[in-house]
Formats: sequence, C-alpha cells, structure tokens
Amino acid sequence: MRAAVAAAALLVAALIAVLVVVPLESLARIAAADGLTGIGRALTAPGSRVAIEHTVAVAAAVTVCAVTAGTALALAVERRPARSRMLPRLLIAGPLVIPEFVLGFAWSQAYGPAGLSEHLTGLTMPGLFGPAGIIAVLTVYGLPLAYLAVTAGLAARADPALERAARAAGASGWTTLRTVTLPLLRIPLLGAAALVFVTAAGSFAVPQVLGTPAGFGTMSTLIYSDLALSAGPAAFTELTVLALALVVLVLLALGPLDLWLARLPRAARPQTPPAPPTQRTRTDRAVMAIVWAYALVAAGIPMLTLILTALTRGPGLAPVPANWTLANFSSGLDGGAAIALARSAGLALAAAVLAPALGALVAGLARGRWRGPLATVVTLAYALPGSALAVGIIIGYGRWLDGSALIILTAYLAKFWVFGHRPAQAALDRLPPGLTRAARLSGARPGTAARTVVLPPLTVAAATAAALVFVLAFHELTMSTILYGPGTETFAVVIMNQQDLGGVGATAALALVLTAPVVIVAALTAWLTRRTGPSARTPVFIPNGP
Amino acid sequence: MRFPLALGALLPILLAAGAAACSSSAPSNSASSNSDTSQQLTLYTSVTQNTVTAVVNGFARADPGVKVSVFRATTGQLNARITADQHSGGLRADVIWGTDPLSMESFAQENLFRPWPLPGLAGVPAADKATYFWGTRELYLVIVAHKGLTPMPQTWSALTESAYKGKVALPDPAAAGSAFAALGYFDTAPGFGLSFYQALKANGAVQVATIPEVVTDVAEGRYQLGITLDSEVRTAIAAGSPVVMDWPSDGAISLYSPIAETVAATGATNTAAQAFLRYVLSPAGQTAIGKTGWQPVLPGIAGPPRPAGATEVHPGWSALFGRQQQILQQYQAIFGA
Repeated sequence: MRAAVAAAALLVAALIAVLVVVPLESLARIAAADGLTGIGRALTAPGSRVAIEHTVAVAAAVTVCAVTAGTALALAVERRPARSRMLPRLLIAGPLVIPEFVLGFAWSQAYGPAGLSEHLTGLTMPGLFGPAGIIAVLTVYGLPLAYLAVTAGLAARADPALERAARAAGASGWTTLRTVTLPLLRIPLLGAAALVFVTAAGSFAVPQVLGTPAGFGTMSTLIYSDLALSAGPAAFTELTVLALALVVLVLLALGPLDLWLARLPRAARPQTPPAPPTQRTRTDRAVMAIVWAYALVAAGIPMLTLILTALTRGPGLAPVPANWTLANFSSGLDGGAAIALARSAGLALAAAVLAPALGALVAGLARGRWRGPLATVVTLAYALPGSALAVGIIIGYGRWLDGSALIILTAYLAKFWVFGHRPAQAALDRLPPGLTRAARLSGARPGTAARTVVLPPLTVAAATAAALVFVLAFHELTMSTILYGPGTETFAVVIMNQQDLGGVGATAALALVLTAPVVIVAALTAWLTRRTGPSARTPVFIPNGP
Repeated sequence: MRFPLALGALLPILLAAGAAACSSSAPSNSASSNSDTSQQLTLYTSVTQNTVTAVVNGFARADPGVKVSVFRATTGQLNARITADQHSGGLRADVIWGTDPLSMESFAQENLFRPWPLPGLAGVPAADKATYFWGTRELYLVIVAHKGLTPMPQTWSALTESAYKGKVALPDPAAAGSAFAALGYFDTAPGFGLSFYQALKANGAVQVATIPEVVTDVAEGRYQLGITLDSEVRTAIAAGSPVVMDWPSDGAISLYSPIAETVAATGATNTAAQAFLRYVLSPAGQTAIGKTGWQPVLPGIAGPPRPAGATEVHPGWSALFGRQQQILQQYQAIFGA
C-alpha cells in the first residue's frame, strides 16, 4: 500500500517536472540571460508597467462580474424544477464552446461601429473598443466557469433544509442568501474566482481585438508585440520576463487562496435533498426571460453576425442573399483539412482522456499540506500565454520531439491539466471524510471501497473535465501554430494557413468551421442526455417561495 | 489508495495510445513527396500559403530529388520558433523566406545566415539585395479609401489634413512586418519623421491590429481611409467591397520579401538549399509568385496590374537595421498600447 502511494507520488512529481518545471525553467533561463538588469529593464519599461496594471484591473473586474452573475444565474436556475433546467443550463454554458477569439471578433462585428446592431437599429455598444468591452466579453467567457462551479457546489453543499430553516425562523430571502447559502458555497465560489481570474489574466485574443483600437494593452498583447520583434534578443528577453511575471501574478493571487481552501473543513451534504415541486411560478418565467435575453446578447446575435459575415462576399457589403457566397469556406478547406481534422480530433481526444486522468491522480494524492501548493502548481502552466508556453516546450523537448504530434500533446496537457485537476479535486472534497473508512469497516476491500465510494462522483467530474478539455484542445491555435511540423498540422493550423486570417469573411468562416463541430457534438449530447432523462437523477432544490 | 495507482499504471498506456492516434501519418499539404532517398530541405516561411504552395510544387517538378518540408506561420510565430530552435540544439531550417527585411536582418545579426551564396544570379534589382538575403517579391503599401470619398488624399501627408480628422486607420507595426516597414520609411524619409505619426494621432487617426483589418474597417465605413497593402485592396475590390485603391503621388512604400540560406544547411542540404533559392529567383519561380498576386522582383515577369504612372519609394533599410526596437518604442509612445 505504501509502495503504491509512493509510486503515485513519484509519478505526480515526474508529471510536474515534465509539464510545469521544464517549460518554466526553459523560459527562466532566457529571462535571466541578461541578469537582474535585464529583468529589471523589462519590468520597469513604461509599456510593461501599464500592461501589468491593465491586466490586474481587467482580470479583477472580470472575476467580480463573472462570479457575481454566474452565481446569481445558478441560484435562480438551479432552484427551478429539474426538467426545466436543461435549456437554461445550455444557454448559459453555450459561450464555452465558442473559441475566445471568435467571441471577441463576433462582438466587434455585432455591436461595434458599422456593425449589425448599428445597421438594424442605429445603436452601437458604447465603450466596446476599450477596457469596458474587454471586460464584458471576458465576463461572457468566464461566466459559464463560475456557473458550473456554483451549480456543482449547490448540488453538493448547500442543503436546502438549512435555507428552509432560516426562512421558517423569519429570515428574509436576502438574509438567508447572505448568511446561509453563500457561506456554504464559498469553496466553489473561490475556486471559480481563481479559474476566471487566471483565464482573464492570460487572455490574448479579446484584448487584441477590442483593446488595440483604443490603445489599451495588457501583458499578453505586449508579449505578442514582443514576439513579432523577437528576432532581436532584447525583445525576446522582455517577452520571457513578462510571461514569467504573469506566472508570478497568478502565483500571488492563487497561492494563498489555494492554501486557505486546503485548510477549510470538507463539509458535505450526506444525502440527496427532497424532491422538488414541479409547478412553474412567475419567478421561473422571469428567470427564463433573463436567461434568454442574456444568451441572445452574449452569444446569439454575435454568432448570427458571424454567420452572415462568413457568407458575405466581401467586407462592407450588405449581408443579403445577393451578396452570399461559400467561397470563404471552400478556400479554407482546401489542402489536407480533412486529415488535419482527424488529427486534431485525435489530439483533443488524447488530451481529453489524459488531462482528467492526470488531474484525478493529483487530486487523489493531494492531502494535508500538499493540497494547496499542488493545486497552484498545476495551474501555473495555464497562466502562461500560449506562445510563451510553446517556446518553453520547444526549448525543453524540441531536441527529441520536434515536429511530432507528441510535442503538441505535451503542450495541451501542460495547458489544460488544470481543467482536469480542479473538478476532480472538488468532487473528492465533496465526499464526506469517513465514507471510505465506513465502507472498509463494513467489510469492503480497498478496491471495492474506491470503486463504489470514490469513483461515482469522480466520474461525473472527469466527464465534465474531458468535455471541456476536448473543446479547448480542439480550438487551440496559438501553441499549435508554433509547435507543428510537416505532417502534424492541426485543423486550426491548416485553416489558418490557408486563410492567413486574410479578410473578415475568411476569419469568420474559420471561426465557424472551428466552432461548428463542437456545437454539433454538444447539441447531440444534450439531446441524447435529455432523451435518456438524466435530470431525474440530478439533485434538485426547492425554489424560493414567496 | 488503489485508485491513483490504477491511474498511474494506465498513464503510459494512454500516453502511447494518444501518441499513436496522433502520430504524423499525413503528408504536408505543401511539401511534395518523391522518393525515400530524396534530399530533405526544411523551409521556414511567413509568406502566404498559396504562394509557398505554388513555388514549392513548381520546385518539386523542376528538382524532384529534393523534398521540401515547410513550416509556415505568421512573422511573430516564426520568430518564436526560430528563437526556440536556437535554444534547443540549433536552428532546424535550411532556408528562411520572410516577409520583411527588418526581421530578416535581425536573424542575420544573430549569425543565422550564410552570406548570399548566389551572387551571380541576374535580374534582381540592387535595392532588393542585402549582404545575407535577396528579395523575391515586392509588396506595396498604399492608401485604401471608402468608395465615394471626396476629395481623395493625393499624398501621404494629406492624411494629416483636417478634412480627414478621425477618418484614418493605421495597421499596428508590432503586429505586421509590412506596417513596420511603413513606420521605418516615414521615420527616415525627409519631411516626415515620427512627427508624421504625431500629426496623424492629433488628427484622430486610430491604430487597428492587422493589415487586412484596415481594409475591412474602411469597407464597412468605420473609417474612410487607411494604410494597407495593395494586394489586400485588390482582393476586396474583386469581392465587390466598396473600397478603392489610392496610390499616393509621392509613391507607394515598397518593401521586399527576402530569402536566405541558413548556416544549418551543410553538405548535400547546402546544394539543395541553393537549388531552391535559384528556383525562387528563376523565371519559373517568379511567374508562380506573380500568379498568386504579388509583384515579382525580376523585370519582365507579369505581376498584378498597377495604376498608370504609379511610383514607389524605398525605406533606407541599412539605416533602419539595428534600430527596430527603438523606433517601435518611439511609435508606441505616440499610439501607445
């Protein structure tokens, strides 16, 4: 038994070395090439200082907005009758299957000057190009992460009986929320906040599309600028210093949080809550109206704009049938796209199987004082911008793996490990501490106890993580375009190379081609799930009564 | 505690399965495959895919003994790849075909290139030759205007006039090599300097990200004018977009797309690399470039049409080499990111 734990610990240490330490150390070597003077110069350059301030401000604002809105929506939706939860869940989580750069681009086409909304109503979104727009779009992208975390937390922690007791004792709805529900949800809430913060801090595409015209740069856009000039060694040093500064920023934000979370008691609800009422109330209808309005503004109209843009012959033409063409699609799909599609699906599948498995491995091992630091370490590579991580990976492994699919898979695992780990950790945290021991005391063998007690909640978390990692890996563009070699082009690389993101129509077509397969798979899964009726098995809650 | 162990045991199997599932089994969409004994040549490039494909396919027909492996990416990603190579066992490209001379000169200063190995090749204009690389095609930066705009600016400096206040879009020089070439030209050109950009800023000009984005924004009416590449304007006009090309009377800014042999090409690869350079600058290679919408450097080879009387100006490349970072920082102090 001890040997088994030691072997698993050794494996985790090896994984951390391979996926986190080697890429970071590779970058640190370049960053330190000019000594402390070089690091100081890179960090104190006027552009760097402003970019760091912008990054922190944007990430903090997005975290507050996404977690607040995600929590509010989750509390409203997850208290509805089970059968009517599937649709709002899909509507809220929908933006997750849209690549980040697509969302930013689609919003600019939908709500920017001369965009669809201006054509139809004469209205544009004020401040879209600038920090307000960046925060709005990143909130849409981060909100599903918060929503899903709170939903899981509600299912596992917030016992409706406690809320009912508070209401029966005379507490108002607001007091009950403030003193009972939210404190019970603090672990998933803080976990979600951490993930949203790291995602927003490392975001590149949205600040690039919406920030550049306003002269608003962040650390990742500055790193991209340095990359364009990185043929010169000074720019490359600055790039690596900034990338590592981003890691330090995440370390400062996440490290104490993970340590604190690790020390919190693992309180969990031991039983399934009572059956809910099935009658819809007026509040339900209002909630649905809000969810529909949100989904329409956040993703519906932007995606419709994207489809129209992809179908239109050239920029500046009215998106009417007379100007429609499929040329934007056909040119992008020339030249080996089908083989690359299969390769991308294979890579995404491998990442989707491995990342949750590796995440569960860490979560299963992480006990006591190791729990917090391990959670932070697994997140570090995710904090690196894709371009910088790819450079770290090439420097670390290029000698042996250059041009192979394995080097791309390694980068995907490094980047998306966190999505396999955090849900698994949350699932294990939800287990009442004595449950496995109780099973053992009742005569179950270790394997049986693990299979019957640990695996069921872990399976749900792993399936969610696998789906998320598949989507993210399938859409991955930045690292793949640096790491691919002849014969290992991914789908996104082939399409991007064909189009070179040349015109707006080509970009829109690329965005749709990348998004469509995932949307189709997600919709099919949702439809099949609905047919087999899993909602009956998910925990449900009593809606807030008047 | 069996659970982590089971996962641990499963890991190598999954890794192997993942690697097998995604192993490289398909040929590159741009490199040709001839025989197992063919000479390998690795090309790193930021040139547009259709141009690379046309040239590499033509070379495969002309020299079937050489198999070209292509890594194509944007200028920034190409830079990242090359720098990462240098830190992990050395450059893996035998030939580098870039978009602009400034990035290529930075590589030259890193001692990545051999001095130009084929000085005897005829026809390439002197303005397109440097110590380590020669030009393969010409790119022209022009003004794009929304259809119907009157009056049209006649010169570059007209963009700073009050008639065009808030109507001009500029590409980001940190995102596009060609935009950086424009910055380099104005920085050194008499009568301009970086004060030209200060005047543009004062006149409400806005920096957008990429060269194609300038054309999109002008076509959609977000701005009325912009600085972009002639090829982008032609493509938009062919698609029916409401834009026109406004070739400045003081000349479009010309930059050349350079190619070089690297120090990694040795022995038989050296011969193959030089054969490729020779092909790119041959009438056949230049014709392939011309057919994909770019102006070949060899005189007499047809490229895209130019307006009658169109003139061009050239940035003083040698004066710009080594000052890239400094100029960009000065620019960013004006248009600040």
